[in-house]
Amino acid sequence: MRILIVDDSKAMRMIVTRTLRQAGFADHDFAEAVDGVTALASIATEQPDLVLCDWNMPEMNGIELLRALRAAGNQVRFGFVTSESTPAMRNTADENGAMFLIAKPFTAETFSQALAGVLV
Amino acid sequence: MTDSASLLDPPVNDPAVTEEHVAEVAGAVWDSFLGLPLQLSPDHPEPATGGMSGVVTISGAWRGAVVLQCPAAHAVEAAEAMFAAEPGSLSPAEIADALGELTNMVGGNLKNLLPEPTSLSIPSVSGGGDSQVFVPAARPVLEVPLQSGTHLVRVTLWQS
Repeated sequence: MRILIVDDSKAMRMIVTRTLRQAGFADHDFAEAVDGVTALASIATEQPDLVLCDWNMPEMNGIELLRALRAAGNQVRFGFVTSESTPAMRNTADENGAMFLIAKPFTAETFSQALAGVLV
Repeated sequence: MTDSASLLDPPVNDPAVTEEHVAEVAGAVWDSFLGLPLQLSPDHPEPATGGMSGVVTISGAWRGAVVLQCPAAHAVEAAEAMFAAEPGSLSPAEIADALGELTNMVGGNLKNLLPEPTSLSIPSVSGGGDSQVFVPAARPVLEVPLQSGTHLVRVTLWQS
């Protein structure tokens, strides 16, 4: 499966990739995008199976990206990976079609639990 | 939607951020992503000057900023841990990126403890020379000295 990792921090994109491998998902293909605008274009052309997206990014943030996808009829599996994890934000993520929200800092076990059943 | 609980549960009915909250938040980030210890510093030295600083602002129901300061050598150490990089191999931009993300995570987790709704800015990073950090139209309400090995890491909460 193809996983798109969206985060404006290069360091965090590497950490997410590394954690996915540690969580047992090393056999999947990984791609990256630096913000929502880049991700939107990449999703249209590459059609990933899962998007892991930061919330707070320049140009287009994560929730704006998710809303744009759903408004266009794109139901790609989508989850947030963010330091902002209040109940209100979790509700917003859920209401807009996110499958999960992983809070930073996270562990490989966190990813395993969140992605169980999502990646097969 | 599946909830993945944060490693840090906010206190119930207590929006105030304490020294202990900051130590717990920052300590969890340092442990999870850097594999480095970070704990309250017992000596409470004078405010840091020089080194590198990361800043995120918070706006909305609560307004202010979270400032993370550390020696340049510790910023390099942290960045090399995040990137799993060889010593001395990272560019200034990569080091700034790493410090910015650390600031984002500490600020974002502290934001979770504050009144809602609020929004978090993109982090900014500066460094070099003998500079201090001031947040205009705000005052420092909590200054927390932390220590990672021999390095002082200071987290300051500014409120507008």
